[in-house]
Amino acid sequence: MGGVLVRRLLGALPILLIVSLITFAMIHLIPGDPAIAIAGMSATPEQIANIRRDLGLDQPLPAQLWAWYANLLHGNLGRSLLLGQPVMTATLQRLPVTMALSAYALVLTLLIGLLSGIVAALRQNTWIDQAAMVLAMLGISLPSFYLGLLMIIVFAVDLRWLPTGGYIALSSDPIGWLATSTMPAISLALLLAGLLARITRSTMLEVLRQDYIRTARAKGLPDRTVVLKHALSNALIPITTVVGIIVSLLISGSVVIETLFSIPGIGQLLTQAVLNRDYPWCRVAC
Amino acid sequence: MKCVLSGVLASALSVAVAQAEPFKCPHVGGDFVFGQEANINTLDQMTSATISTRNIAMNIYETLMTRDENNHPILDLAEAMLEAPDHLTYTFKLRQGIHFHNGKSMTSADVVASFDRYAKVGNQRSTLDNVDHWDAPDAQTFVIHMKKIQPTFIEALSSFSVPIVIIPSENRDVPAQQLTQPIGTGPYQLVQSVPGSMVKLKRFDGYKPNTSFQERTGFGGYKQACFDTVTFRIVTEPGARVAGLRTGELQGVEDLPATSIPDLKNDKAITILPLKNWWIQIANPNTSNAPTDKVLVRKAIQAALDMDEIMDAASDGNYQLNVGFQYPNQPDYTDVGKETYNLHNPELAKKYLTEAGYQGEPVVLLTNKDYPPMYNSALVMQQQLQAVGVNAQMKVVDWPTSVQMQQNTTEGWNFFFTGWGTQPALGALATMQFLVQPNASYKPAGGKDDPDVLAAWNDMNTLPTVEGRQEAFARMQKLVLERVYAVPFGSFTKVQGVRANVEGFVPFRIPRMANVWFTH
Repeated sequence: MGGVLVRRLLGALPILLIVSLITFAMIHLIPGDPAIAIAGMSATPEQIANIRRDLGLDQPLPAQLWAWYANLLHGNLGRSLLLGQPVMTATLQRLPVTMALSAYALVLTLLIGLLSGIVAALRQNTWIDQAAMVLAMLGISLPSFYLGLLMIIVFAVDLRWLPTGGYIALSSDPIGWLATSTMPAISLALLLAGLLARITRSTMLEVLRQDYIRTARAKGLPDRTVVLKHALSNALIPITTVVGIIVSLLISGSVVIETLFSIPGIGQLLTQAVLNRDYPWCRVAC
Repeated sequence: MKCVLSGVLASALSVAVAQAEPFKCPHVGGDFVFGQEANINTLDQMTSATISTRNIAMNIYETLMTRDENNHPILDLAEAMLEAPDHLTYTFKLRQGIHFHNGKSMTSADVVASFDRYAKVGNQRSTLDNVDHWDAPDAQTFVIHMKKIQPTFIEALSSFSVPIVIIPSENRDVPAQQLTQPIGTGPYQLVQSVPGSMVKLKRFDGYKPNTSFQERTGFGGYKQACFDTVTFRIVTEPGARVAGLRTGELQGVEDLPATSIPDLKNDKAITILPLKNWWIQIANPNTSNAPTDKVLVRKAIQAALDMDEIMDAASDGNYQLNVGFQYPNQPDYTDVGKETYNLHNPELAKKYLTEAGYQGEPVVLLTNKDYPPMYNSALVMQQQLQAVGVNAQMKVVDWPTSVQMQQNTTEGWNFFFTGWGTQPALGALATMQFLVQPNASYKPAGGKDDPDVLAAWNDMNTLPTVEGRQEAFARMQKLVLERVYAVPFGSFTKVQGVRANVEGFVPFRIPRMANVWFTH
């Protein structure tokens, strides 16, 4: 058993090496370098050159690659050029922010998507069905960025119910977290809730036409039991697959939403890291 | 050593006499939340030239000399500066009773350590190129010994581009960009920095204001921290900054989008503060690549341009037409070369093109979308050039790529679009460095400066009198405009805003948090 494990780990090493080489090469192939991004608009070439020298970016690429591997062997992922802090620290600080926001958005997606999908299926071809599907289409069609801006105007500027942006950690103030995360979570959730609602509706309609549902109704089971116990439990199998995709979409969607609402999560960092050529962070996350 | 009282100190004293009572905070307390448009990568001011770092760090740090409201050099942590008659020694007497945020008294040993670190990792360490060495004969005296006379040394030393901030001597050997716990002598001290999110400062109770002044001026003067805390929140999305200001979550913001200003002006709870002359919108030609290697082609392009149209598109209407490389309120300002500016003369442009033998070769405008004013000005310029028969083409990349292309290659582009912000504000000397090697933005053929331009530049640096140096600047500006080594479009206005209950906030090159207070 131990031998197998060692062989597998050794076998993974060349793959890791190749992946890291490709990542390193791809990042460095992008024109522009972090010194330019760090220096700002009015910097002179001298100032840019000094930053490049101070950060070791003037070294030949093989030397930079070697230094990166040497640091990796010591468990050091480097310092983020954009944030001026270790990559590991930056990642660990920001990951919980994005995870908490995504989890909140997932709960909202499931609530809105499943409920509206089920109701639409049960009231097929009625105004309720059509209204639910129109809303779902609207959710899918509206860019989350635009929806977020609309929500800021309505709920923050006009009604003053929620803050315009910023972030309060769940651990430090749960109510504050709820206030700062609700609009971003809804912006993220509505897009995917529309998708989930349409899939839930079509799956439920298919299941509701099955013989075992007809049998359950014939046995005199109440509608609630038929829908929740027999129909939904079977419909959930394809829906669960979609939810897996939704989770990944929520995390990628946070790239835009975190920027809009000034939330210091992984999504915001990813955007800025790529735009500013933050090599150390991109080597780990991109 | 026979010493002379510097003009710098004299100007400081004249300010002192002009006013009677030093500033006193009308109200003390509160948390001022400021929405900043850009992230900061460091608070290590010595190693950063970015506006975003300076915005925050210059409320924490101070320098021996800095600039006043009108950009004149003034003393800050020094109470006197004596220049030797041979101009090879500058002696600074430090103000007494200055403490760092860690409680330690500031002495000349800290100044020596600060200069040592700056010489090693300072982002603009060439400021000290002509300095032979520095020393501290006693705890309150710091002396700079020059290798050779540099009439512009005080101008360079007081620059706020990458200021030589004074740090405690124990931080002398901290590597570049790794000074994560900034300790200065300024009116505010760091409480917390959450990268990418916010920076919180608090009032430094041990702060000793500069009694040579009665009021804040520029980066220096008599400063008092009236807020308990100041929070800089990073809000990169303009719409979110506007929303934050309207709801009062942010009490001050920078860079309000022009489209939001009419609405905000109607809001009595908000005060709009335009900051004129924030940067010069400019396009730099590539004189090493055809067809812009021909001066007549460049003159044709210059003649075709309507600067009003370009600046209107670039700034959404927040601009001023401006000849040359300084602003009208600056001492070095001159409008020489105005006969080349904003001609909007298609017939003249076509005449120059014919004389140049232009055959429709592409003129590539290298720009980016990271800074919309640069993209918009390129777009309008392209249309104006096409209207006179120039085959103008856009090359749109991101900012780092465009800078790298401009710096590293003379192929594939003819005009590079940028903005000159900090340097024009610092003065003519800082600005015109962009037009000589190693920074020559017009990419002179063979990397060799235009000898006439270089001669004017040398005079700007070496002539002993201010008048002589100003004349040299005027000569250089005229040459650059006549030979079209740069095409300045106009000056850009940056609009800031505060809540109406904020007093004392005057737009400047940074949001100054000293001498600003809440009325209620």
